[in-house]
Amino acid sequence: MGVIEEVFSIDLPVGEQFRIQRCRYIPKKGETLKRISIVSGIHGDELEGQYVCFLLGEWLRANPDKIKATIDIYPAINSLGLDSITRSVPFYEVDLNRVFPGSKNDFLPAQIADGVVSAMKGSEIAIDIHSSNIFLREIPQVRIAKSQEKTLVPLANKLNIDFVWVHDAVTVLESTFAHAMNTLGTKTLVVEMGVGMRLGKTYGHQLLDGLLNLMACEGFLSIEPLDVRYPIQSHVGEVAYLNASCPGLFVPSIEHCQMIEKGSVVGQIVDPLSGQVLDEVIAPIGGILFTLRAYPIVYEGSLVGRIFGENE
Amino acid sequence: MKRLEILNFKSPNRAPLIVEGFLFGEESKGPSVAIVGAMSGDHINQLYVASRFVDFLRQKEEEGKITGKILVIPAVNTYALNMGQPFWPLDKTDINMMFPGYAQGETTQRIAAKLFESLQGYDFGIILEGRRDQGMCLPYVKLIKSGYEDLEAAKDLGMRFIHYREYSPIETVMLQYNWQLWGSKALSLVFGKNGAIEHRSSEEVHGALVRFMAKREILDVSVFEGFSSNVIGPDHITLLKASHAGIFDSLVSCGDTIEKGAILGRITDALSGKKLEKIIAPSGGVLTCQYSHPLIFQNSIAFRIASVN
Ligand SMILES: [Zn+2]
Repeated sequence: MGVIEEVFSIDLPVGEQFRIQRCRYIPKKGETLKRISIVSGIHGDELEGQYVCFLLGEWLRANPDKIKATIDIYPAINSLGLDSITRSVPFYEVDLNRVFPGSKNDFLPAQIADGVVSAMKGSEIAIDIHSSNIFLREIPQVRIAKSQEKTLVPLANKLNIDFVWVHDAVTVLESTFAHAMNTLGTKTLVVEMGVGMRLGKTYGHQLLDGLLNLMACEGFLSIEPLDVRYPIQSHVGEVAYLNASCPGLFVPSIEHCQMIEKGSVVGQIVDPLSGQVLDEVIAPIGGILFTLRAYPIVYEGSLVGRIFGENE
Repeated sequence: MKRLEILNFKSPNRAPLIVEGFLFGEESKGPSVAIVGAMSGDHINQLYVASRFVDFLRQKEEEGKITGKILVIPAVNTYALNMGQPFWPLDKTDINMMFPGYAQGETTQRIAAKLFESLQGYDFGIILEGRRDQGMCLPYVKLIKSGYEDLEAAKDLGMRFIHYREYSPIETVMLQYNWQLWGSKALSLVFGKNGAIEHRSSEEVHGALVRFMAKREILDVSVFEGFSSNVIGPDHITLLKASHAGIFDSLVSCGDTIEKGAILGRITDALSGKKLEKIIAPSGGVLTCQYSHPLIFQNSIAFRIASVN
């Protein structure tokens, strides 16, 4: 059985503490230095990771004799946000994933970030589970900065996800949890899957299998590796962004996660007032629609989908 | 004065977002400056200073005193201002985190791109900035070291302090950094308390803008000298934190000269009323910033004191 520990606590003004808790599982023969951290809820409106944490905890409780190293589960980093449907840190309205590595000498969000880093520093691996946001639905994918490609892609391939997306390094992303942890030597993968404020059971189970497989391969669990899917690699093709050309109500014509052909209709943007169809969103390339808008109100520029197409 | 439509952006259901600019001295040969006001919905003090400055320039134009070119954009995120929210109302993104913008990108990237385009080609750029936390401060110049900054120009504002420092990663997507990189001598004037109008700070910033323009021969007016600015870095600032959370009472004002040992503030337990803490100055200096919300978090920065090393 795991031990629940409080790793960060700070008094709030009126009779409450902001806290971060983890559940730690250790091998029967005692604690080891080898450690993995499973993290969710850096964004308070992303809940898919909470379900994965539950599933993993349930599995570990049922299989304590398979645990070979320390496994820490942190389901709720932005605990205040999770319990109030707030993406950012309430009161400050700051995106927690833009203040890492944080500091003890800065405002509350930075102190939380610092607390998170101190708690997880020394982990060999960290898996940071996000669910896109409330606007977009994503297939299970891992996003990796180009500079980390060599170390992280082999690890991501074990995670039973559908897509590994290696992107160019952008300076602003240096303030993310993943960047801070990778800099400290913890191999950190960022998983994006599902949609904000909702739960997808299938994705949860898919990622559980991936986590078990990764932990088997990396020596955290004494089980046979699982038979997992091999993700599509972004370097073999290109990502096309579909942005709304005008404001209105976006009505998808197809389901998420479909193979579509170049020129086919992804959805329509309609005007509820005049009853007109304002625009059709057309696939600029053929491939897999791995992102699809879930929240229908769009402005000009709102992302409505992303397609990954393999080069011929 | 020429009233320009910087951007006109349609919304699904509400009236369009129209960002306006006020242009003075379009034909003049003198140096040029652009001023950007409220980029967030809670930067009301910035809106106030900018719109008052437009009115001031209109009068100076009638008097024939404008010798340079001046663009003032008092408000960018009017949608947020009209809703009492800080950020873009649909996706809560901060327009001042979207620069240099991207015309084919997300909504706020497109807004930033259009805005940024209209700010090109000016010799100087002045951003009226609010704070990004629950604080208030003595108005100061924030100048980041991008390699293209102009410290001498910043001194012409005659503000008491210029905070001159390295930039953080998130500042690479903010206006000041990008504006500097694209060739305008950009700086920020940080002042006020979010959501409020402070008349003394507003006066000070207004005065600094006029002084800057007089010194740089953009306006033909006589001005009093301001401060010979103190250029300070993070090493000159002492942070005083609250060890307790609770109700916060400040006993001082920004700009006060503080002596070592002075009591600056008090924290009491929000439920029992028990006196938890007195915040005492560990050294002397000038109080530059303080926490401004009546409820304080544990370990929050309650005061910042600038001292001469
Ligand atoms: Zn997220």
